[in-house]
Amino acid sequence: MKLALSLLDIDFSEAEKRICRFIKEYVENAGSKGIVLGLSGGIDSGTIAALSSRAIGGGNVLGLMLPEEENFSQKDIEDAKLVAEKFNLQTQICDMSSVLSCLYKSIPVFDPNDRLCKGNLKARTRMIYLYYYANKFNKIVCGSSDKSETMMGYFTKWGDVAADITPIMDLYKTQIRKLAIHLGIPKELVLKPSTPALWPNQTAENELGIKYETLDLILYGLEKFMKTIEIANQLNIQKTIVDAVKNRWLANEHKRKMPLPPKIGYRTVGNDFRLPRHTY
Amino acid sequence: MKDKINLALAQISSKRENKEANLQKIEDLTFKAKEQGADIIIFPELSLSGYVVRDQVYELAETIPGPTVEKLEKLAKKTGMHVICGMPELSEKTQATCFNTAVLVGPQGLVGKYRKMYLPTHSVFEEKRYFRPGYQTAAFQTELGNIGLCICYDIFFPEVLRLTRLKGAQLIVCISASPAVRRSYFETLTCARAIENTAFLAYVNLAGVQDGLQFWGGSRLVSPSGDVLAKAKYDEEDFVICEVDYGDLRTAETFIPTLKDLRPELFDKLKESSELL
Repeated sequence: MKLALSLLDIDFSEAEKRICRFIKEYVENAGSKGIVLGLSGGIDSGTIAALSSRAIGGGNVLGLMLPEEENFSQKDIEDAKLVAEKFNLQTQICDMSSVLSCLYKSIPVFDPNDRLCKGNLKARTRMIYLYYYANKFNKIVCGSSDKSETMMGYFTKWGDVAADITPIMDLYKTQIRKLAIHLGIPKELVLKPSTPALWPNQTAENELGIKYETLDLILYGLEKFMKTIEIANQLNIQKTIVDAVKNRWLANEHKRKMPLPPKIGYRTVGNDFRLPRHTY
Repeated sequence: MKDKINLALAQISSKRENKEANLQKIEDLTFKAKEQGADIIIFPELSLSGYVVRDQVYELAETIPGPTVEKLEKLAKKTGMHVICGMPELSEKTQATCFNTAVLVGPQGLVGKYRKMYLPTHSVFEEKRYFRPGYQTAAFQTELGNIGLCICYDIFFPEVLRLTRLKGAQLIVCISASPAVRRSYFETLTCARAIENTAFLAYVNLAGVQDGLQFWGGSRLVSPSGDVLAKAKYDEEDFVICEVDYGDLRTAETFIPTLKDLRPELFDKLKESSELL
């Protein structure tokens, strides 16, 4: 197998169809009245908004915009509104600033300079809003995590990845860019640098230290059980880069699983209790 | 024996852990098939219980004969139809030894059953965790011709269908629960197995979504020459009536005579080599 971006060129019409069917069946089987999603103005949430709207109708999809003062961006709000309008979504804006401020004040050890801990607090607060609306209006939360970031563990545990379904989690970022264009997401939004928006000027590629075009091919090679040396040779990059990606992928499995219990009983939750999911 | 028979390919989406609802669907579609002139109706792998049932399989599995098969027998008797259906089977001798089984009933009662020989336990599949493999291929002489049975992943192993054909099967029925990413493999293999055995091959797959697995449907009847004679929709539930004309077997067998040209001594070599893999 020759690692090249063309390997990630899937049939995007087919992918759209499958994802829409998945969303529709899940919502119906859950007896839910629709979907709540966080609408950030970025490519992933825009893609999810488009897919959800096509699957169950925009009137059944609520996009929550969750700005907060430290990271406020009028451009992001405008982009989010643009997507909502294009795909006929319902929207609501909840300013999280006052809640975050209370949280900061109520934590005795709160350190405003520890931007990671503070940023994770924001991601988890967004989750609280999403689930409040889901709970209140009998909807499910639709997550927008992609495969690149999920494999790298580049997300907040119980934060941005907390959702009932994650319809684009099996697509790498470079694939989502193409899917987004296929779905008619405005190009300028597709080209915007991805960011979890946990602090000002944060970008995913800067933090990951690698371009998505390279990262996705490394991850694709690992997915296909290729050895790191083969991947490095094929991509003409240092093996240490590929090893670092592999190590980060493996080290973050704990973020992708239910909490681990010690084995004591006959059948154990999250371990060998293997049950079907009733609402899919 | 009839020269020509009509098949109903019942590509359903089954409700997991709801045998009652699935049986109702089986019953309704069997009556519908009868009305449309079918002689036999075929339902997908584990369509009685749903495919992704995990530990619940121990509650869902039944002996054969057993309560569900009795209901299927009554249905077959009432309609004069043959019915093939996939279900988790419980061994009569134990309390938790299960098989992934295809059962064939006719107007006279239970004709026979086939226990899946190759249980996928890789990727998203965990069948060996729950099922014991079968040890026998199955071909049954009926008034509708000699019907062989196999299940899904078996089709990747030419020896299963070859043995079924050598037992006399003219129509090989493969019931399946295949998720979408494997569609191209099955589309190739259904034709290949029909051609290499010069037999009709009816493939009936599940539709719908179970635990994120999307079953691709695409059920079909393939002629002994590899032509797709009838095809159901991809992904959605569908119901297709199609005809098997056994007269076509002679044409296929004379054109590319794979059975005449079989070399039995190679099978000994195959056994030796596979033991040393």
